[in-house]
Amino acid sequence: MASDRPTHPIGRPVVHHDVVCPFCGLGCDDLTVEEEPPSTLAVRSTDCPVARERFSHTPVAEPPRVAGVPVPLAEAVEAAAALLGAAQAPLVAGLGTDVDGARAALSLAERLGAVVDHALSDGLYRNLAVLQRTGWIATTLAELRNRCDLLLVAGPDPAALHPRLFERWVAPAPAFQTPPSREVVFLCGEPLDTTRAVLSGLPVTVLPGDPARTGDAAAALAAALADPSRAAGAAGIGAGDIAALAERLRTARYAVVAWGAAAFAGPHADLTVERLVGLVRDANRHTRCAGLPLAGHDNIVGVNQVCTWRFGVPLRTSLAGGTPRHDPHRFDWARYAAVADVVVWVSSFRPEVPAFPADTTVVALAPPGTAFADEPAVFIPVGTPGIDHPAHVFRSDTVVALRGRGLIDRGLPGVAAVLKAIAAALPQEAPAC
Amino acid sequence: MLTKLAGGRIYDPANGHDGAVGDLFLQDGRIVADPGPGAAPDEVHDLTGRVVMAGAIDIHSHIAGGKVNIARLLMAEEHRMAAQEPCGCVGLATPSTHATGCRYAQMGYTAAFEPAMLPSNARHAHLEMADIPLIDTGGYLVLGNDDLLLELLASGAGEEAVADYVGFMLNATRSLAVKAVNPGGINAFKYNQRRLDVDENGPFHAITPRRILTALAGAVQRLGIPHPLHLHGFNLGVPGNVEATLDSIVAVDGLRLHLTHVQFHAYGAEGDRKFSSAAARVAEAVNRRPNISVDVGQIMFGQTVTASADTMAQMGNAGLAHPKKWVMMDIECDAGCGVVPFRYRDKAFVNALQWAIGLELFLLIEDPWRIFLTTDHPNGAPFTSYPELIRLLMDRDHRLARMAELHPALPEHTILGSLTREYSLGEIATMTRAAPARILGLTDRGHLGPGAVADITVYTDRPDRHAMFETPDLVFKDGRLIVRDGVVVAFLQGRTHVVEPAYDPKIESWMARRFDERMGQRLTHFRIAEEEIRGGNGLVRHACQPGAF
Ligand code: SF4
Repeated sequence: MASDRPTHPIGRPVVHHDVVCPFCGLGCDDLTVEEEPPSTLAVRSTDCPVARERFSHTPVAEPPRVAGVPVPLAEAVEAAAALLGAAQAPLVAGLGTDVDGARAALSLAERLGAVVDHALSDGLYRNLAVLQRTGWIATTLAELRNRCDLLLVAGPDPAALHPRLFERWVAPAPAFQTPPSREVVFLCGEPLDTTRAVLSGLPVTVLPGDPARTGDAAAALAAALADPSRAAGAAGIGAGDIAALAERLRTARYAVVAWGAAAFAGPHADLTVERLVGLVRDANRHTRCAGLPLAGHDNIVGVNQVCTWRFGVPLRTSLAGGTPRHDPHRFDWARYAAVADVVVWVSSFRPEVPAFPADTTVVALAPPGTAFADEPAVFIPVGTPGIDHPAHVFRSDTVVALRGRGLIDRGLPGVAAVLKAIAAALPQEAPAC
Repeated sequence: MLTKLAGGRIYDPANGHDGAVGDLFLQDGRIVADPGPGAAPDEVHDLTGRVVMAGAIDIHSHIAGGKVNIARLLMAEEHRMAAQEPCGCVGLATPSTHATGCRYAQMGYTAAFEPAMLPSNARHAHLEMADIPLIDTGGYLVLGNDDLLLELLASGAGEEAVADYVGFMLNATRSLAVKAVNPGGINAFKYNQRRLDVDENGPFHAITPRRILTALAGAVQRLGIPHPLHLHGFNLGVPGNVEATLDSIVAVDGLRLHLTHVQFHAYGAEGDRKFSSAAARVAEAVNRRPNISVDVGQIMFGQTVTASADTMAQMGNAGLAHPKKWVMMDIECDAGCGVVPFRYRDKAFVNALQWAIGLELFLLIEDPWRIFLTTDHPNGAPFTSYPELIRLLMDRDHRLARMAELHPALPEHTILGSLTREYSLGEIATMTRAAPARILGLTDRGHLGPGAVADITVYTDRPDRHAMFETPDLVFKDGRLIVRDGVVVAFLQGRTHVVEPAYDPKIESWMARRFDERMGQRLTHFRIAEEEIRGGNGLVRHACQPGAF
């Protein structure tokens, strides 16, 4: 949006205030970003390593390529449409894009009968599998900030992926709780040094335990809620510590159990989530308690929302054969890539595209300067949502959608525009109801 | 292009037509006056013998937003089953946006309103509503459990300040009306209170539900918002809740109030089962007070899912979940959401009586301008059950036959068998077209006079009213034919209806501070820009008239 952009005074950096950061799903909208004309950005207001790294990666535009040869955009679009028109088992994945990009990608996938998935959906699926199987009690970031008096962080410190979690949502005193106090407990994981520093004013308890057995610790806690004196140790944490924490959970006014499922290791990580969800449910028999499942890089939560409202089912869905079929196992992109013949990979938030089997035809939409293990059949450089164009992204808690604005103009198209052009270049079909 | 709809029987209550034969002319998406004998229409539809009504308007249907997506996720089984069907989107409790638009249009509906848009989730709801094809939409903003409002009330703020707050919120979230859901109760649940009486101070802010209710009803009146405060009342689903419902009517002291899904709030606690119909008491109160309107929230039998901001009530119902799983969420210091799958069984006494209570309300409330046809989709049933519901209202024999199949104890507990009223086509047209448009302030919808938007539905007059209302012959949206014989023949995008009441912007500096200090969000980012709604195309603004209501 040109009108959002300050005009450039000659020779001086332009300062963008209150910039929305679209990268990790925490929804920070308070960034100060300096623009060194023509298009170099630097985050000035926070040390968040993710924001600093991503905003600073704005190389100049480069032309699209077909088979490694630079071509005009229209030609790349035609080439992509030709490849997709002939696809037998297409995969439209990565899906690192904003809401509009997701709409376009899902429409294209529907038109092609493709399988859809997000690059980072492993973590999300650990959570969704449990949501679909048992349901849960959850909360959002402002509830955490304003009402939570006991935060229990389960497993590895989520600040590794969501750097400003503690600074913005935990360090401020809860406004709607008397007294306005809060304590933080780390269970089966240790806080990063940066986390410790941010929480220096709050009581913090660390129960290191074995991160791979976070679920056991949750189960032991749940069992101890009814009668803490009968607590048993678990995951390397002693019975006394479990008992004390169970007692603390029972007497909390509003406890929050937070986890980043992406960090849970092992093939049955969703069982860890299930036990955490069970702990939250049991704690609600005594007081209020809610879970905060964190997952949200590259707008995965937003893309999953769009997919769910568009098709009634979440990502990891096949749109071949009319009615959407969701199968979190079969349509996991990493698995489906082995059988897909043509892959449309969308990664507009980061210059990363995975390697695919040698006989796969790849159409990649990614930032300029993306390095490829094998040159894709078609590469179309695209702008980054919230940097090159206005963009809707969702926060990790699934409730709040934010709108980032365009900061610079590198002359790069957005994902939505490119995918709509590709869809328009395919033979047309009448939409059905 | 001039289109003539010739010789239909026109049911247009807003303009006094009750089935008289006449012609309609459409041009540029609107209904125009008869251009006279010299005009040559480009297209003529011979509607001799057919029934013509404006497009139907659903004033209360959960079609978009966070809780709807959670419901879709929880109802994975129904989507898995639907995937086996050739067109798998028929009759789902949790249809996709696409199926929502198609099914509504196929039933002759041209607008449906999301009645529970949370402030923090408004942007999401709008993004989702923009993906519903064919029909117009809009949202009612949920207030009354937001900590900021409760803080404002606790600070002793006067009526103007409350109205300024509400005015800002409606503008910022691009809403059409104000909804209050169990005022104070959702907030209290966050402090582990599972019940809150109307005159009991809530935790922390120490404000009573009665104070919140009257403050919001007053703000709506002051701002001149066409739709009265849309109230999801107290103690939803709890036997004996009729007392609180009647008390709410009294509490607003003559201000306009819309009681939504009032079937769920018309329960007595009498009789051998401690659960009884209080429909007659509610109907009597509504009949006596022209400031009160209701929609019913009829239940129909079968599997559905209940989705509500009322976490306090939903937590109470969670034990009844079928299948056994449910989601509760505390949301962003403004409300919550509870999603509980549920199966209404015709052989269960409680469900059968709920069904009868809904129908009693329909038949006992006399003025079709003040009662609306809803199932609180999907809470009482999917909106696709409207044709059957219309048949139950129009056909007493069918009603009695259906009643005979239900739980055997039902007849002793309901007066339904003795109610002889059958709705006429004109009354159905009022209740599903003219009245919803009027109570929402949509002056150019819901009727067929010159200047109205050409949203029109044409039916064959069949004795089987279910069949008639299930499959209209023709549906026009903005003057374009979108459905023929129940099949969608053209796709177009609907619009988003909003109000933009005037308020004193001084409130914004207080709110901006509060947003910085509490919400972790800038107020400027909370506000939804016009270009965010349907890409800047499709906002329809409706006039507010301070003091007019
Ligand atoms: S924490 Fe996340 S949202 Fe906040 S600045 Fe860092 S990357 Fe951006």
